[in-house]
Amino acid sequence: MRSILVFALLFGMTGLLWAQHDEHRQPTGERGSGRGSGGRGGWTAQPLLLLERGDERASTTLRVRGPKVPSVTVFGPAGGEQEFQLVDGRAKIQVANTGIGNYHWLQVRDEKEQHVGVATTVWYSSLAGPSPRRLLETRHSELEIVPTPLPREHANYRESEKWRFMVRYEGQPLAEQRLLLETENGSRSAFVTDAQGVATVLFPRDFAGKPGRSGHGPRPRAGFVLSTEHVVGERHFVTTFNTVYGEDIDRGRSLGWGAAFGVFGMLSALPLLRRRKRSENKEQSC
Amino acid sequence: MLKSWIANLGRLRLIVQLLMLFLTVYGGIFVGSYTADKLSNSLPALSCAYDQMNGGYCTLIRYQHNLHHSVGMVIARTGEVTVAMIVPLLILLASFFAFFFVLGKAFCGWVCPLGTLQEFVGRIGRRFGIGVRRVEPGDLGPVSRVRPVKWLILVGMVFLLPLLAGLGVVSHSLGNPFCDTCPSRIATTLLTGNADQLALNMGDGWSFGLGAVANWLIGFMIVGALALRLPFCRICPLLAFNSLFQRLSLARLSKPSRANCGNCRICTDACPMDIPEISQAEGKKAYNEDCTLCGRCAEYCPQDGVVSIKWANITVFRSNREYYKTRVRGELPDGTVKLPAKGKNDA
Repeated sequence: MRSILVFALLFGMTGLLWAQHDEHRQPTGERGSGRGSGGRGGWTAQPLLLLERGDERASTTLRVRGPKVPSVTVFGPAGGEQEFQLVDGRAKIQVANTGIGNYHWLQVRDEKEQHVGVATTVWYSSLAGPSPRRLLETRHSELEIVPTPLPREHANYRESEKWRFMVRYEGQPLAEQRLLLETENGSRSAFVTDAQGVATVLFPRDFAGKPGRSGHGPRPRAGFVLSTEHVVGERHFVTTFNTVYGEDIDRGRSLGWGAAFGVFGMLSALPLLRRRKRSENKEQSC
Repeated sequence: MLKSWIANLGRLRLIVQLLMLFLTVYGGIFVGSYTADKLSNSLPALSCAYDQMNGGYCTLIRYQHNLHHSVGMVIARTGEVTVAMIVPLLILLASFFAFFFVLGKAFCGWVCPLGTLQEFVGRIGRRFGIGVRRVEPGDLGPVSRVRPVKWLILVGMVFLLPLLAGLGVVSHSLGNPFCDTCPSRIATTLLTGNADQLALNMGDGWSFGLGAVANWLIGFMIVGALALRLPFCRICPLLAFNSLFQRLSLARLSKPSRANCGNCRICTDACPMDIPEISQAEGKKAYNEDCTLCGRCAEYCPQDGVVSIKWANITVFRSNREYYKTRVRGELPDGTVKLPAKGKNDA
């Protein structure tokens, strides 16, 4: 039996060596720039912070679309912040010298007279680091859109899913605040925060007709931006939060086939139930 | 009250298992949702990382991802093997061992959610009078035939294939092949009301094939566990991985040479893994690679002090004739629950 198993393994390995070699993919959520892109950005009038995909765990490249600002501020998960200068709207972002990873909060601020525009996004570095709980609790600007929570490792924003976002002003939840969602796939929808300042955002199912996933390659993703505005006296605050969402995991999957193989497994085990009845007189003594 | 709840070691284990099932499947409610908040990403139990509500997760996914992304893909890109690639693997091994050193293979018998679910199905089988099928000569064949499978899965699917996938030798769909075939991924995510993992990926042949194996296994396990105790544990690569270090853990099974062991085989009958060595051998050989430290052999040994569960040099539980007599009144060694005979109590 053992020799049969070894032979089966060797045979299987031989087959695998001949297997089709798919394209190398960027492991989602495992590498530095797995999240936080947004395509070309022509789908919205809102400012966008776009992250480029790459292999680096400790750095990424940011491109700012919209406001002409000199720098971007990066807030780390363990506290502290770093300023990176933008050259032609681009900046190479690196984790702090401590090498701490996990989520970072990226923000640019465009303040002109009574108008305060703040654009934000998150960047996930797969280096080990504290959870973003403290990062999200910390106030970074007057008007904020705060994900509660962010997707953890092995998860993403996806179409058809509901995610919660809090709107805060001066660190306090803002009730009945309008939040506008725009997606790269062309959807527009509005949400209103509840008494706790939280809006439950439904990501539209709008990947239909888009090119699907190829082999084990990355799932199709598209950018989205949430925006909200608030007027206090003479001052007009506009804040955005943008990152990416992916297609529904159910696309390209079959629950029917899954259930069929499950039932097949059950049927395969049926012979185990047939042979014996409950044994009698099991009680033994030495 | 507490004494009646924890009447014996089996009842205590059941309570611990239920608590651990809750912690490993839904524990994120308490410890937080982010990966960095988890108890650990190196648990020596099949607590699935695909379960978004868990309290900590299995070490096997990290080995596969590490070998795929951080070793194989980097070697493929740079053509070099460096110390920097090996260090994360060593850190991973150290973090796994930090847990394992304390509880050892009790992670299999007391913590693993898939083990608990299989035992739960088995209890249903016993309640409905479905006789236990044993892996032993004369029934399903010698247990030694099954044992190599878990080692093949560990070496092939946890270590080798992810590395080859990273190197680009085989398809990247084989980057985490064990997780793709693991029934715990389906069982624990279903427990959170998420059927995503039950659906098969139709994108490419490897993903479909591996997913089909997982679905077949969970189906087989649900029905098979009614008659065969712990069917998946017998081929679980985590049991193999844990057994590599079982002699280094503080928790262990002890059966020193005893003249009063009558080789009655009741301990093997009680063992959910059908380990013959526990009745036939002594010393190190009695603490077999398949042992999950559930403690049933010690509970059902009718001789004083022959089998014991130890933590460091402390005896946590030892076999005892009086305990055996009480225990066997409520449940037979094979797990069959004895119902009180009519009229017997009235006499």
